[in-house]
Amino acid sequence: MLGTFGYLVSLALAAFVWVAPAGATPPDLDALKVEEIAPGNYVHFGRIEPLSHANLGDQANIGFIVGDRCVAVIDTGGSYAVGAALRKAIRQVTDKPVCYVIITHFHPDHFFGAAALVGPGVRIITHTDYRRWIAERGRFYLKALHRDLGDLAEGSEVVEPTEVVSDRKTIDIGGRTLTLQAWPAAHTTNDLTVLDERTGTLWLGDLLFVDHTPVIDGSVLGFLDVLGRLGEMRVAHYVPGHGRSELPWPKVLEPERDYLDVIVRETRAALKNRKTLEQAVDSVGLSQRANWVNFDEFHRRNVTEAYTELEWE
Amino acid sequence: MLWKSTGARLLMAAFLVLVTGVSLANEMAEPDPAKSQYWPTIRQMMFGDREILDGKDVIHVYLSTRAADAASVPVSIKGQIDQTPDHYIKNIYLIVERNPSPAAGIFHFTPESGRAQLETRLRFEDYSFVRAIAEMNDGTLYMASRWVKAAGGCSAPGGRFRIPENLIGQMKFKFMDAMLEYGKPILVQLMIRHPNESALAMDFDGDKVPRFVRSVKVTYDGKLVMSGEVDFSISDNPSFRFFFRPEKEGVLDAVVEDTYDRVYHHRLTVSEGVPLPGG
Ligand SMILES: [Zn+2]
Repeated sequence: MLGTFGYLVSLALAAFVWVAPAGATPPDLDALKVEEIAPGNYVHFGRIEPLSHANLGDQANIGFIVGDRCVAVIDTGGSYAVGAALRKAIRQVTDKPVCYVIITHFHPDHFFGAAALVGPGVRIITHTDYRRWIAERGRFYLKALHRDLGDLAEGSEVVEPTEVVSDRKTIDIGGRTLTLQAWPAAHTTNDLTVLDERTGTLWLGDLLFVDHTPVIDGSVLGFLDVLGRLGEMRVAHYVPGHGRSELPWPKVLEPERDYLDVIVRETRAALKNRKTLEQAVDSVGLSQRANWVNFDEFHRRNVTEAYTELEWE
Repeated sequence: MLWKSTGARLLMAAFLVLVTGVSLANEMAEPDPAKSQYWPTIRQMMFGDREILDGKDVIHVYLSTRAADAASVPVSIKGQIDQTPDHYIKNIYLIVERNPSPAAGIFHFTPESGRAQLETRLRFEDYSFVRAIAEMNDGTLYMASRWVKAAGGCSAPGGRFRIPENLIGQMKFKFMDAMLEYGKPILVQLMIRHPNESALAMDFDGDKVPRFVRSVKVTYDGKLVMSGEVDFSISDNPSFRFFFRPEKEGVLDAVVEDTYDRVYHHRLTVSEGVPLPGG
């Protein structure tokens, strides 16, 4: 047994030998356009489109909160170039140093810009389960980024947290308390939200998709539970992970909840009717297509995730 | 044994391929299966100089060309010949060229299998060719290949929620039909609750070996129905669907072994006129 595993392990290590090609200079973008959606809360709204050479991973909504003492960054964009453009945007707003980089979950469009924002004295915070799952996916995501962006991915790195949140944690950035909440498996296994207590602004990461097809990468049932709990929170302003909306809180959660409800209901029906995974993927939830952008890119994957979760009920 | 013979050589093959470094350029377009940079080494290590014939009359492999989820891509392998005592597919090798451990599984069939057919779900670490190679009872080899573009966007081959320890090894048999008829082949799905961890998960947990299912064996009425040696290119919660032909009331019996040397059993008695589980 052991001898054979020796081979296995050496093989696995060989696979990790892939290293990002170095030498290119990351693209130098202009400062990202940010909007102050609530006092001290600055949001850059990413583009709702697949990763491309044109957008360099500027897909997620990212931004920062300015305290009296320092700045907390919330998500960093999908490449080093986007993170660096966010840094320029911060410098146009304030001279205060960045003291926290908060990563709402382990998806590449949210964390790959972090390398441009971290440095000595900057604390990096994630959900406690981020570390376990990024260990499994980080190398894969980096390789895919280089496959899709080539030299334009230069500088992008998987970051490790310096501290983690397992339940709830508050941080102080000077006259402002931010409450970080770690959630059970929902959009992903490691979703973290940030609430700016002073303005009642909730940064949801990808627990809230607007227009962009919601993505299930943790648990569809967990996602619905978490949406129920979020809906009970008192929130004055909100920042979705993708898209923007004028709907009031918590009404803005409804389209996403309806989409997930349809998936759960129709997947359960497919299972009850002895449909295979392939048959379910070709039939479940298609009525929802008109409501969402990037539907073809994400929906079939969502049904696969839901089916492989619900088939064990 | 996959690990002791072909497995070990195959793994070495992949090692060589990966360390010699393969350029990431021009991987967006669908390549020619004959010109894959990975295949010659894997082929040499697994099959040596043996000739491999075009499998179009012997074996087909089907995958969704728009694989929805790199973590679970359904694949089905279908033998195109009747399994007779004189002429039958003995083994099917399933290979995902660009996975860290390219040999996803080796499955064994007999003349009693009726048809050599198997469906499972695969993980993809990259855009890759999938190859199914049928080895006949006389040793002839036939191959079918498919190019699969899984793994775009946030889609990734692993990293889903943890399965509670007490549920690992739980199994189910599921049928697409509500009833069976004696003498007629029927499809059955074996589902196994198991993390089927890749070596990447091991990295973080610090375990000595990744924990994955390494062998599956199903008998009906004491006779072999399906067996195979598999690895972590198979998705978490491994699933296998295959035919068997019940001639009378009997017990479907599954035995599954993982790399922690745990052995799991599951049994189901089936007979004509009694509803089958699955709906
Ligand atoms: Zn996400």
